[in-house]
Amino acid sequence: MSKETPVKESRIAVLAKRLHLSKSAVNVVLALVAIFWLVPTISLLVISLRPESLFGQSGWWTVLTAPSQLTFGNYATIFSQGFATGGVLDSLITSLEITIPATILVALISSLAAYSLVFGFWRGRDTIFLVIVGLMVVPLQVALIPVVQFYRELGNLFGLNPYGTIPGVIIFHVAFGLPFGIFLMRNFLSGIPKDLLEAGRIEGAGEWKIFYRIVLPLALPAIASLAIFQFIWVWNDLLVALVFLGGNVHSPLTIFLYDQTRSLAANYWIVSTGAVVSIFVPLIVFFSFQRYFVRGVLAGAVK
Amino acid sequence: MSSVTLRELTKQYTGNAALSLDSVSLDVAHGEFICLVGPSGCGKTTALRMIAGLESVTSGEIEIGDRVVNDLAPRDRDIALVFQSYALYPHMTVFDNMSFGLKLRKVPKDEINTAVTDAARILDLEQYLDRKPSQLSGGQRQRVALGRAIVRSPAAFLMDEPLSNLDAKLRVQTRAEIARLHQRLGATMIYVTHDQVEAMTMADRIAVINLGKLEQVGSPRELYDRPANQFVAGFIGSPSMNFVPMHVESVDGGIRVVSAGGDMDVTLDDVESDMIRRAGVSDVVMGVRPEHIDHLARSGRGLQLRASVDVIEFLGNDEHVHLSSGGHELVAIVDARTPLTIGDSLTLSASSEAIHLFHPETGIALK
Repeated sequence: MSKETPVKESRIAVLAKRLHLSKSAVNVVLALVAIFWLVPTISLLVISLRPESLFGQSGWWTVLTAPSQLTFGNYATIFSQGFATGGVLDSLITSLEITIPATILVALISSLAAYSLVFGFWRGRDTIFLVIVGLMVVPLQVALIPVVQFYRELGNLFGLNPYGTIPGVIIFHVAFGLPFGIFLMRNFLSGIPKDLLEAGRIEGAGEWKIFYRIVLPLALPAIASLAIFQFIWVWNDLLVALVFLGGNVHSPLTIFLYDQTRSLAANYWIVSTGAVVSIFVPLIVFFSFQRYFVRGVLAGAVK
Repeated sequence: MSSVTLRELTKQYTGNAALSLDSVSLDVAHGEFICLVGPSGCGKTTALRMIAGLESVTSGEIEIGDRVVNDLAPRDRDIALVFQSYALYPHMTVFDNMSFGLKLRKVPKDEINTAVTDAARILDLEQYLDRKPSQLSGGQRQRVALGRAIVRSPAAFLMDEPLSNLDAKLRVQTRAEIARLHQRLGATMIYVTHDQVEAMTMADRIAVINLGKLEQVGSPRELYDRPANQFVAGFIGSPSMNFVPMHVESVDGGIRVVSAGGDMDVTLDDVESDMIRRAGVSDVVMGVRPEHIDHLARSGRGLQLRASVDVIEFLGNDEHVHLSSGGHELVAIVDARTPLTIGDSLTLSASSEAIHLFHPETGIALK
């Protein structure tokens, strides 16, 4: 039963062999590329850790020789402001209020739609899927003004105008996240053997039970990647938030940072500190979902 | 009572002119082990999936117990299906795989535990209950699939080629295990296979299906001894029956059938002669099983054939000898100690009981 799994060569070793280079040379090159890409982020982190007063006097790289200039002062200032409206933490919360529902809704609706597209019993599933794929090419900028008008119309008709509210932004993000979400989930779900669903059907599971007891657990890797994509898109979005939340007292981090940079020169400490805070959240999301990227989740299902 | 009855069951897939299943009627008694056999694509799996409720019924009726189940959902039919692919839930442990159906039916926990433990003991899976399917061998997965079926003690077990993914040795072993399981549970089993050996060894009765039509139903012995037509005759038995088209000749009162070149001839007795006269045919297809061909000549009634040896397949106890006789190819099974070499010219024979005669156009056995 237990077959010897052959010891796999590391990817770096494979790469080294292919390029006719020694393994350490490849490592050095990779390290250089990584550092090159990380420099802006590292500098941002360092700037946020230096006192505001030093910003105009010396470059951030002077920390290499004088590490004593590092301080958590900027962070202390930010956090001491608490959740006051217009502060960094207020914006952080607003960003989360937009991003978390937008991510969960896209993951949920995409999985349900994909389930129906793959395993449903209705005609024209492939056509609908093609239409959805086609929607992926629509740039969201095109839809900004029509959607604003549509929101206004909703307000006129039902007295519920989502424009300028957080749900309004969420709805927009969900709508534009769905085509890719459905595309990704549908392609993943079509790899799940139909036998598994039929087995469930015979054993007494209804469609809903099959969905969340059999299909959803198996689709976790796809849902995790979709959630990461969607989270980062929405988290980093400035345009949609600017258009739909322009007048709101609570603004997401992207708008907050944008506001700080507009007023030339000043507030570099708050821009760098806020930016670092805004990087940390997607990083946490990435690392916490990463464990679901398990390869071969379907192993042992059939054959 | 958990009998299963099919009444003129018919399936036509949309956009397909041909019927996948053409008016198949079959009674499976309570506790009976019946095999549906036929070549790939003959409709046997379709029939099974229709009984399970996974395919809609175009026309006809399916009865399980005393209920017509045509419009019942699979879960309300009280059946269990063992899939060819096993279809185990990869994210669940063996225990969870086996108890899934019971949990869905809200069976009390201690009952679930008893049922799963019992099934695991019967199937020798006790030490694997905490493993995931990916940590099991093919044979173990297959047993989990069986276990998932038996914990629910359904009215009928449906099995779709459950052994086809196992290696030859394990297949023989599991074949016996399933037969034992059937005796132990006394449950109705409908077993689909393309392997006539599986069907012959396990089934109480075999239903042979070809091109969506039921060709013959009967015990393995009936099918072997008295095939209803040329298809069943060729399908049951390995290597398959030799068929030779022959011409009917009258010889001083009696009847003789002779092959085109005259290398083969069968002298018929009175009963058989009457049979041919009744059928009113001037040509017949003669069938004889390889194991019934004797490598010695004989006098009197029966088949005489002159042939030369083309190929000899040594199998230990016996040999499959491929012969050619006046342009026809035949296989005979002879004792391995028979001194034969390729190119030998032989005169062989078969007793008249071993000869099957079929109608040249319809292929139906002459009676």
